[in-house]
Amino acid sequence: MSESNKKISLISSEGEAFEVSEAVAREFEIVAHMLEDGCSGSSIPITTVDSNILGKVIEYCTKHVEVGNVEGNSEKAEKDLEEFDKRFIAVEMNTLFSLILAANYLNVKGLLNIGCQKVADTIKDMKPEEVRSIFNIENDYTPAEEEVVRKENEWAFQP
Amino acid sequence: MASSSSLVPSSSDLTHVMKRGRRCINWSEFPSELTSSILQRLGAIEILGNAQKVCTSWRRVCKDPSMWRKIVMHDLGESMEFDLEIMCRHAVDLSQGGLIQIDIRHFGTDYLLKYISDRSGNLRSLKLAKCYSVTDHGFERAVVKLPLLEDLEVSYCLLSEESLKVVGQSCHNLKTLKLNRRGLRRPRFENDDEALAIAETLHGLRHLQLFGNSLSNTSLSSILDNCPYLEHLDLRQCFNVSIVGDLEKRCSERIKFVRYPSDSTHDYPFDATVFHMDSDEEDYFDCYDFDNYD
Repeated sequence: MSESNKKISLISSEGEAFEVSEAVAREFEIVAHMLEDGCSGSSIPITTVDSNILGKVIEYCTKHVEVGNVEGNSEKAEKDLEEFDKRFIAVEMNTLFSLILAANYLNVKGLLNIGCQKVADTIKDMKPEEVRSIFNIENDYTPAEEEVVRKENEWAFQP
Repeated sequence: MASSSSLVPSSSDLTHVMKRGRRCINWSEFPSELTSSILQRLGAIEILGNAQKVCTSWRRVCKDPSMWRKIVMHDLGESMEFDLEIMCRHAVDLSQGGLIQIDIRHFGTDYLLKYISDRSGNLRSLKLAKCYSVTDHGFERAVVKLPLLEDLEVSYCLLSEESLKVVGQSCHNLKTLKLNRRGLRRPRFENDDEALAIAETLHGLRHLQLFGNSLSNTSLSSILDNCPYLEHLDLRQCFNVSIVGDLEKRCSERIKFVRYPSDSTHDYPFDATVFHMDSDEEDYFDCYDFDNYD
């Protein structure tokens, strides 16, 4: 099937249409599955992702499709892509949060991977209080539960 | 087929979280499989020491056995507040027998290895580096209980070739062996015991890393003869081998990826400083003994 020039519209939760090539749309595994299941639609509503985030996910997929299409010079292409990913994922926490959820929902594995890794790298050396404050997580431990955790932590040297 | 299809969200929670996300993120409401995917990227010390204390939903994720198929614990000297040996045993308990990979650096005893091997018969990958308290006896007792092992590292440990022979007898699926130590340029000191033990017993190897080994051309040749599936061979800083002529031809024909003694060490994960001493200095053997043999 020569579908390489086919365009598909992805519609954000606000109703904004983003026209992309089929190759880019297929980077969203959820869309690829629909197309394989025989869906011939040219317009696909993505009701849970807003324009800002959908635009970013498309930017990510477009870059990865472009680089994937370049023949030869794979080492340079790989480095280039690594640099792109690094810059792409250096966003503030709210955006990162939304990107991960969108990547998970749309099943864009590469983006999900760099998003999760970015969060892991951020919290790596943080104390629980710091993690709570940066991610706005409420400490919902009751004093009794905290005591259970403390008792379990027999590896901690007592000060 | 309809000309337009709607992607219905698989969970109404998702929409809820994402809409909230615009104003005020709340990571504790994150789907637990995503929290798990993030926390699995942390080391065991970070998970047990910090992440599980953040909130009860993170703790639930951290206690799930699926989080503990792989345990990575490197004592970087920053975790002085924790007894890593106890912490590691706790992590093994959390795996509930499902441990597949374990990677330990700079701590660990024979007792810990026994604890792991008694509870982790499915272990495929065991990596030990700079575990100076582990003895041949303790290592051998553990490894016989790990018949499914495919990937083994014992770098900068104080084990002898006898341990390798036991690995060869017990782990018939072993495909990767990393046995690294500090490169020794001078004085010249050949030791083929380990390389010969490998050639004798580990015929199924695909990957072999012998960074800094003192093997000679003779035992390298034995490895080429006896490990027919070898694809990757790392001989960086093995200064006693001289890969020229026939040996070079055999290496390049037989092995897909060869790293030669003088190749760059930029991607080597440990300190690659070469041990270099004039042969008339008496204390050389002390240093060598400490780094390599007991």
